[in-house]
Amino acid sequence: MDLLPNQNKFIIPIGPQHPALKEPGHFEFTVDGEVVTGASVRLGYVHRGIEKGVEQRNWIQDIYLLERICGICSHTHSTVYVLGVEKLAGITVPPRAQAIRTLFLELERVHSHLLWLGVAAHEGGFDTLFMYSWRDRETVMDILESLSGNRVNYSANSLGGVKFDVDDERADQIRRGIDFLEERSHHYLKVVTTDETFLGRTRKIGLMTLQQSMELDATGPTARASGLERDIRVDAPYAAYPDFPVRMITAQNGDLEGRFIVRINELFESYRLIREIVDHLPPGELMAKVPRRIPAGEVFSRVEAPRGELFYYIKSNGSDKPERIKIRTPSLCNWASVVNLAVGYNLADMPMILAGMDPCFSCNDRSVSIRRAGDTQTWSWEQLRQYGIEYYR
Amino acid sequence: MDTPEALSRAEELLKPFAQTSSRPTPERLDVMVLPSALVATVRALISGGWGYLIAITGVDRPGELAPTPEDKQWARLARDEEEVSASKGPEGSIEILYHFGHKAAVVTLRTSVRYSFPVINSICDVIPSATLYERELIEMFGVKVVGTPSKERLLLPDDWPAGVFPLRKTFKGLEESEAPVKEG
Repeated sequence: MDLLPNQNKFIIPIGPQHPALKEPGHFEFTVDGEVVTGASVRLGYVHRGIEKGVEQRNWIQDIYLLERICGICSHTHSTVYVLGVEKLAGITVPPRAQAIRTLFLELERVHSHLLWLGVAAHEGGFDTLFMYSWRDRETVMDILESLSGNRVNYSANSLGGVKFDVDDERADQIRRGIDFLEERSHHYLKVVTTDETFLGRTRKIGLMTLQQSMELDATGPTARASGLERDIRVDAPYAAYPDFPVRMITAQNGDLEGRFIVRINELFESYRLIREIVDHLPPGELMAKVPRRIPAGEVFSRVEAPRGELFYYIKSNGSDKPERIKIRTPSLCNWASVVNLAVGYNLADMPMILAGMDPCFSCNDRSVSIRRAGDTQTWSWEQLRQYGIEYYR
Repeated sequence: MDTPEALSRAEELLKPFAQTSSRPTPERLDVMVLPSALVATVRALISGGWGYLIAITGVDRPGELAPTPEDKQWARLARDEEEVSASKGPEGSIEILYHFGHKAAVVTLRTSVRYSFPVINSICDVIPSATLYERELIEMFGVKVVGTPSKERLLLPDDWPAGVFPLRKTFKGLEESEAPVKEG
């Protein structure tokens, strides 16, 4: 019997629906036995055409649409957008508003990193850690809900400022919550760096060197775990970060363990920052006066989302609607790193390696198709609005 | 290297290729380059150790520019590579912006291709991770990217009609006949 020649590839398709990932993405892994020799990715399963959508809505409506790009880092998207438009219109936002924006940004980072910790632990077969970290995450979700009335999509931002203030009662609640989370995070850091079984899944897995991270244009905690010092909060401070500086958190490991360490250490930095903002909240107004027209021009806006650098290109033609908004989310540029990192590792490591970059599919896919029992149809904005009104009546 | 220094360094690296350059804000440098010079320009920047690619942005500009001799020359070169489809409607252009970042400094290489010859060379030889942005450009704007490693669909559905580019201003939604078959 002839043996199959080596160049015969065995391709394992995974997705778009797959138990290992909760969001839709299609991967093809070429394997030799258990070892992955090549990987490719197909996105777009949750593409919603948001970049086109914003061109058909006015500057205010776009805040709400863009905030819904991602259910996890929603405030990050609205912040990068309002910061850009404010720059375009020459609006000076009051310091208190900027501080509260930043407070939301950091609280969001805490909830995102804790969510990630749970998901990554789950992919590693460590469901106890998943359940504990998600239980604790409720603390920050409750804080966000008491500040804004919403667990996600807070709608805290408006052009020129923020809509919610932080009173003494809320401040106390934040302090108590952060104390609790800090204590828990120390425990999690200990678990992910000492638990033998867990380290077997993370140490020296998905290794990315500093050189590779630069070549692959990795961003966010994924890059910083390889020692790449890139954090927009430090490099180009925005909102209240000039007044409340953050420390860059890196690790030299470059493997999955490093990505755990970086994110958990970033949690401590966020806790410190949240306390500082709550203790030193500048007095004053929450909203600046906004001109009726946004002048023509173009502007770039960059913020550090929980997953890395989020970049917006905003072009105005002087009308009530933007001419073009380009959104570059961190998840998109981290795909290149994952597809390259996969090579050489076991197929069983793939869920962990994928989860390691904290991919957010709704970020990089961005049409509205509403599904009701029995029929699928595409709805217009007006129909959708009417449906919403009827539904909640 | 602080921001002004970084931008001066970039200006120096890009000088041989720049048609015009400007500094719209203190942290930005915009450089106009010809499509034919794009790859060499990107190479100069990257081999000079300047920054990283943040994103590639396409901007549709319907009916704005008249063709120049350089455009015609570039069009002749491009036609050797691939038959280029002419689009309907008034002659406009797609502006393509390559954003590079170095800490707070942002350098943008700006180039424009015409509807009739929407052809640009791939920069993936210099920056392999640019492939995702180039595929986005192909799908959303109908720009032909010569030499890009993969032209497979990345974002749009498999049954999306050929030759329909959603981020062009002329796109207002799919006609019934064109629309992908919906699930029942």
